[in-house]
Amino acid sequence: MSGLFPGFLILSAALFAVGALGVMVRRNLLVVFMSIELMLNAGNLALITFARYTDTMAGQVFALIVIAVAASEVVVGLALITGVYRSGRGLDVDEMSEMRE
Amino acid sequence: MNPNSTLALSAVALGLPTAGFLVNALSAGRLPRRVVSLLGPGVVLGAFVATVVLLVQLLGQPPAARGITVTLWQWLDLSVRSGSGAVAKTGFNANLTVRIDPLSLLMMLVITGVGGLIHVYSVGYMAEDPGYNRFFAYMNLFITSMLVLVMSDSLVFLIIGWAMVAFASYVLIAFWYQRPSAVAAGRKAFITQVIGDVGLVLGTFLIFLNLRGGDGQLLHTVDLQTIFANVGPGPHLHNGLGPMGGGLVTVIGILLFVGAAAKSAQWPLHTWLPDAMEGPTPVSALIHAATMVTAGVYLIARFHPIYQQAPVAGGVVAAVGMGTAVMAAVIGCTQFDIKRVIAYSTMSQIGLMIFAVGVGAYSAGMFQFFTHACFKALLFLAAGNVIHALHDDQDIREMGGLSARMRVTFITFVVGSLALAGIPLFAGWFSKEELLSAGLALGPAVPWLWVIGVCVNVLTSFYIFRVVWIAFRGQPATPRAASAHEAPAVMLVPVVVLAGLASVVGFLNIDFFGFHPLTLFSDFLRPVVGVPAAQAGDGIQALALLAGTVLSLGGLGVAWAVYGRKVISPELVSRRLPWLYQLSLQKFYWDEIYGAALARPGLALAARVRDVTEPRVFDGVIDGVRSGVSGLADDLRSLQTGFLREYALVFFICAVLGLIVLGFRLA
Repeated sequence: MSGLFPGFLILSAALFAVGALGVMVRRNLLVVFMSIELMLNAGNLALITFARYTDTMAGQVFALIVIAVAASEVVVGLALITGVYRSGRGLDVDEMSEMRE
Repeated sequence: MNPNSTLALSAVALGLPTAGFLVNALSAGRLPRRVVSLLGPGVVLGAFVATVVLLVQLLGQPPAARGITVTLWQWLDLSVRSGSGAVAKTGFNANLTVRIDPLSLLMMLVITGVGGLIHVYSVGYMAEDPGYNRFFAYMNLFITSMLVLVMSDSLVFLIIGWAMVAFASYVLIAFWYQRPSAVAAGRKAFITQVIGDVGLVLGTFLIFLNLRGGDGQLLHTVDLQTIFANVGPGPHLHNGLGPMGGGLVTVIGILLFVGAAAKSAQWPLHTWLPDAMEGPTPVSALIHAATMVTAGVYLIARFHPIYQQAPVAGGVVAAVGMGTAVMAAVIGCTQFDIKRVIAYSTMSQIGLMIFAVGVGAYSAGMFQFFTHACFKALLFLAAGNVIHALHDDQDIREMGGLSARMRVTFITFVVGSLALAGIPLFAGWFSKEELLSAGLALGPAVPWLWVIGVCVNVLTSFYIFRVVWIAFRGQPATPRAASAHEAPAVMLVPVVVLAGLASVVGFLNIDFFGFHPLTLFSDFLRPVVGVPAAQAGDGIQALALLAGTVLSLGGLGVAWAVYGRKVISPELVSRRLPWLYQLSLQKFYWDEIYGAALARPGLALAARVRDVTEPRVFDGVIDGVRSGVSGLADDLRSLQTGFLREYALVFFICAVLGLIVLGFRLA
């Protein structure tokens, strides 16, 4: 099992990087949102890996809390996205720039 | 004397005017006038009754036991207490302790007695005034403040009363706040009072920091009786406030006198008093004749143990008092405002009192205070009747012939004038001759003081009868004067009562120039202030009494010759002695001197700040901050592109950089 730790961490880092890249390059708000979820879960993976590695429960508990927060965030975020879409602005993040300058 | 009944009575004396003030002030003018007319004078007369009962109790005691201290209110007490609450070690305390002794009782009697009469008078005088309730609130506040001042046995509360008196006088002088001149006069009085407060406070600091007990230890006390008990010479080298006549005690004496001079309108802090005549006439009678201006006399009499240790300070006090007395008397001779003439005579008479307490004749000074309170309040109130009848005209040149139409006012004014002028058998004669006798008692080397005092008396009787003849005799100068009518009864009764007092109170103390068949007053005060050390020979004294009396009558005669018979033209004198006339008419130019020395440089400095410092420094700094912030904001605005993805990029770059830095730190 211990030999797999670097693998899990690399997977976590890769997932995080994919998520971050998605936030930065994708223009569709829904996809950006999904990328954020991806990053959160990458973080969860790293937390659980370290929890197993150190044989403590702290990381697991932390991951549970993150999942709970992420669920709440989804509720709020999706509501916002639905609101934006209903206002007839589309979901292109580059178009949402009324507050520049 | 039962301490409990003393406590209750002094609480009543102090509490009634306070309650009157609070009820009047907090009801914000909603009380009906009839209630205020009863409440305002009622509380002061109630306090007077309590004071009289206290007096009766005090007189029931042997003279040595006439003095009791009670604590009305425990405000601040840093004594160390044991578990059971008993005082283990006395620490600093500043409580409202009240001293009931002959000196404070005398002041209380005058404050509540004469003050009560003036309150009654005000019911008539202020009847038409829209600020009727406000007036009585202020008047009651003044009585409260004055009582705190004279009753307090703690330096802290003495200073509090001292400052409250200044405030109450400020609001009363500026009572008619619609008049710019009244507001300016109030401000002038208040500023002068504050200068005096500084002197008093510095003096008490020095006492507090330096007073040592009999064992040579610092006492750090504000309790007056403790201070006075320890100030004298003792067995220890570092006793009291240093050696007799030492620098420290002299400085303290002079600082206390700065406070006294401001309250009592003595040179060089005297200019506020004539201007204070802008206030309503009852205010002038209460504050600027009977009570507040005599607070300085009281202060020096109360602190006489300190002045006995500081002969130089006492000499300064006496010299300033005599100088002010002469100056004010000279000014009084040429003024045309009836209230200003009386104001200058107040200044002059208080100068004599200050002189007396300065040379150690405390009893004579306080006796002069007592008679003066009666006849000066009388003069002011009688003048108030005249002013009321002439619809606020105060110029004696526009009066004339009033004696026919205002019989009672005329007679009472003349009684007051006779008392003020020191004409035999009226109150002023007894007190002034006793006072001059004290001046003569200083020894044959200084008969000058007596000569100057007699000159003041001559001038006094001249200028006050000048007013009598110009204002009350002759022909009416204006139609208004011709149609003047007598004041209502509520205003006449107090005046008549005061006239009665001014005729008889002198007989309380027939003790001057070798004659002392009746010395009720000085016997009364003796437990507090003792007896003057020096007495002149009886022969010289009798001669001086005769000369002084004849000269006072001479002053009256000159006034009669000049203004009654018109055998001497006043214009002739002013042409012969133009410099003296101008000096007197322009009040010795003190207002001009202070204007040039203090007010104008102050205004110039203020103008400079306004024209230079304000635009360049203050505006410069503020403009700099504004343009700096707005420039920075202009630069930062370009970062706000509105592209979410760009923000995310920046965010990630910063996060990565932060992690790298953190990694290095941990490694």
